[in-house]
Amino acid sequence: MTRAQQTLSIGLLLSSMYMVAFLGLAPIPETLQNDLIPVLPFWAIVTFGAYLLAKLGYGVLTFNDVPQAHQELVKQIEQARVELKKKGVEVD
Amino acid sequence: MATKSKYSVLLPTYNERRNLPIITWLLNQTFTENNLDWELIIIDDASPDGTQNIARQLIHAYGPQRIKLRARAGKLGLGTAYAHGLQFATGDSVIIMDADFSHHPKFLPAMIAAQKEGDYDIVTGTRYAGDGGVHGWDLKRKLVSRGANLLADTLLRPGVSDLTGSFRLYKREVLREVMGRTESKGYTFQMEMMVRAKAMGYRVAEVPISFVDRVYGESKLGSTEIVEYAKGVLSLWLKV
Repeated sequence: MTRAQQTLSIGLLLSSMYMVAFLGLAPIPETLQNDLIPVLPFWAIVTFGAYLLAKLGYGVLTFNDVPQAHQELVKQIEQARVELKKKGVEVD
Repeated sequence: MATKSKYSVLLPTYNERRNLPIITWLLNQTFTENNLDWELIIIDDASPDGTQNIARQLIHAYGPQRIKLRARAGKLGLGTAYAHGLQFATGDSVIIMDADFSHHPKFLPAMIAAQKEGDYDIVTGTRYAGDGGVHGWDLKRKLVSRGANLLADTLLRPGVSDLTGSFRLYKREVLREVMGRTESKGYTFQMEMMVRAKAMGYRVAEVPISFVDRVYGESKLGSTEIVEYAKGVLSLWLKV
């Protein structure tokens, strides 16, 4: 099963469940039926969108910079150059 | 008693005249310090800048047991470069990495140890978990990177924190099997390898690495690459 098939299957399942609720085919308390069910899809989309955005923001904020890795590397490059030249390898 | 492990590093090169000697030196340093048996297979796609001359000098300096040059006639792509190099690998484990020091050999012992610890099929370096990190990225680049990862994560749910990373250690047969099933060319090749490997049931461990971007030269990430990437993720979503 591909990821796409998996996603679409779950999507279909959830849609069917929602349609049952939306069409009033299931015994749901009146306040829920009238106030919650109609707006559920929009709420779900907005919440999902907000979640993704938050994840993105968090990811950028907590990005780990590693300046010391760069410094260490530059030093090692210098050392490498010296030793390589001794071994007869061109380094420019 | 198991025979001693040997590590083959596959390094596709195109115009890596400046980086090649240094990366070779770093590899030699790490493997020697850790008393590991190794070889470096350089797959050069007819670089016009004399990369192959440098390769030959390195063979002379470090010996033909350690350094092997398996050149190709032209720029034939990354996936086929690995396939080509893999034919000549004599190690039981294969390492793939970039030649531009963004992947530092100093992480290899940690990756090797992680592999042995759980007999993992694949060990991948991650820039996004543990104390993994990046040097040299501005805000825009970080945003693009996180965004790309988020897209891939949401659509593909691969179970690895760094899907586009290409610093990996594979058991040789695992690499062969996964490569055999991988269809992408170029950019999304690494991604597809990981997604396929997971789908095939291979066990993957992650080791945090620090990624130093572009010590020499400029990063080539433009809007075309981003679009290609998005298309790649979508096609994987449909295919795998």
